Amino acid sequence: MITLENVSKRYETQEALTKVSFTIEKGTMAFVTGPSGAGKTTLFKLLYLAEKPDEGHISIAGFNTATLRESSIPLLRRNIGVVFQDFKLLNNKTVYDNIALTLRIRGIMERETKERVNSVLKMVNLRHKSDSYPLTLSGGEQQRITIARAIVGEPTVMLADEPTGNLDAENEDAIMNIFKRINAKGTTILIATHNKRLYDNTAKKVLYLDCGRLVKEAIR
Amino acid sequence: MFPLRLAIQSILKEFWINLLTVLSIGALLMMLFAVGTIVYNIEIMTRRLPERLSILVFLKDHTPEGDLKVIEARFKSEPLVRSVEFISKDKAMNNLKKTFKEDDFILKGITDNPLSDSFEIRLKGNNLSVNDVKGFIDKIRALKNVDDVEHGGKLLESVYAFKQGLRVLGIFTGVIFATAVIFICYSTVRLLFYRRLDEIEIYRLLGATKAFVRAPFFIEGAVIGFIGGVLGTILLWILNNYLIGRIMVNIPVFSFISVPVGSLYFMPALGFVLGLSGVGFALGRLKY
Ligand SMILES: Nc1ncnc2c1ncn2[C@@H]1O[C@H](COP(=O)(O)OP(=O)(O)OP(=O)(O)O)[C@@H](O)[C@H]1O
Ligand SMILES: [Mg+2]
Repeated sequence: MITLENVSKRYETQEALTKVSFTIEKGTMAFVTGPSGAGKTTLFKLLYLAEKPDEGHISIAGFNTATLRESSIPLLRRNIGVVFQDFKLLNNKTVYDNIALTLRIRGIMERETKERVNSVLKMVNLRHKSDSYPLTLSGGEQQRITIARAIVGEPTVMLADEPTGNLDAENEDAIMNIFKRINAKGTTILIATHNKRLYDNTAKKVLYLDCGRLVKEAIR
Repeated sequence: MFPLRLAIQSILKEFWINLLTVLSIGALLMMLFAVGTIVYNIEIMTRRLPERLSILVFLKDHTPEGDLKVIEARFKSEPLVRSVEFISKDKAMNNLKKTFKEDDFILKGITDNPLSDSFEIRLKGNNLSVNDVKGFIDKIRALKNVDDVEHGGKLLESVYAFKQGLRVLGIFTGVIFATAVIFICYSTVRLLFYRRLDEIEIYRLLGATKAFVRAPFFIEGAVIGFIGGVLGTILLWILNNYLIGRIMVNIPVFSFISVPVGSLYFMPALGFVLGLSGVGFALGRLKY
């Protein structure tokens, strides 16, 4: 479902990723870990085509990113649900509208949108915050909204960048349970995290990044 | 449906910018139509000019009666001639005396009539070209028995040149005003676009197509242009009714002015199109 071959990415001053290769099978829940600055977010940006690799090949959800036409990028992104590390919520729109946006962009009717948005809001336990604005919510609540937005489109691949960074243990478990649920339905999931607790007992595959290099790949 | 809602939200949220844009567009379109009206009116006023001009053909002395008939028939057969009137030298003298009225002592000493027989020719109106008229006059000059021709060709020529210049000037100003409208839309959309850049980036990351991102701007530009056009129409209508209709009617020159009212409804359509083009130029080359 996700394949990287010798992928490198340089920013002006430094190498963020160096010759990274790995494969994540369809339906897997995998983790990327490593110290701050290791290149986890950069890896995600390459996967949802916010950045282009300097070298190497990437394929994700059946798309080869090198040969993908500019006009097909939206199509690729609709197949990928992303939980951004910095949330990327629209602060001038309500929680409901933020999540609904994913579906409205696809031209889905308001009635169906309403049903689906309310259902994911229930999943993250924030049904009552539907009409609030993001900045009036706690960090953990904003994070759960971001997760709800990523899953509402029922993507084939989910990329979650530090999805539990702001959550207490209880909410952390709740979110991991959601991920497990949608993973069980067949969604391939890649989670970037510092948090050992998340992948210690559950993970099938853990990728260890350090200074842009893939230093270890643990498979259970 | 959703892009429409975004456009409406944006129009309301950026109310002051949009209002300013609408006002500028309204004013510009109004001026554009004012220029158009001026050109149109001068066109109308001068259209019947050749009709008013008369050509006086003076005949040589002692032209035989028979030849007069031939010449008259010759004139009447010309397609651009509306009427031909023979003025005998006696009649011309009488006219002269009438003109001088009480001062006819000037003519007292004259016993032998020095005037000549003449024809007064009036031309059909409607867009005779200067060349037609000139050609016709040259033809007359070449006729036997014709002594001299007096005509307003020179005047016609200069009026036509003036009209031509005015038309060019009108088109030139029109193009400038239209460009200004496009430019105003262009810069407003650019401004709004950059204000919303963060938002647009998120839209794109969630899988929005370029068309989806652009649609609200196009709707907004079209609506602003259209409303600007409506405003311009209203302004011009007010100007016509209150200024020209009430006040200037008493000033002779202005009483002729007629506004092509039917074409006023064209203004919102023009605003619509210009607004859309402004958006097109604004977004056309952007990378996002
Ligand atoms: N836009 C950029 N321009 C220049 N350098 C960048 C840019 N984005 C990231 N970097 C650099 O690339 C390296 C990898 O950054 P990245 O954000 O991928 O790390 P990370 O593993 O996600 O870290 P964290 O755990 O703190 O989120 C860092 O050293 C960072 O400074
Ligand atoms: Mg990161």
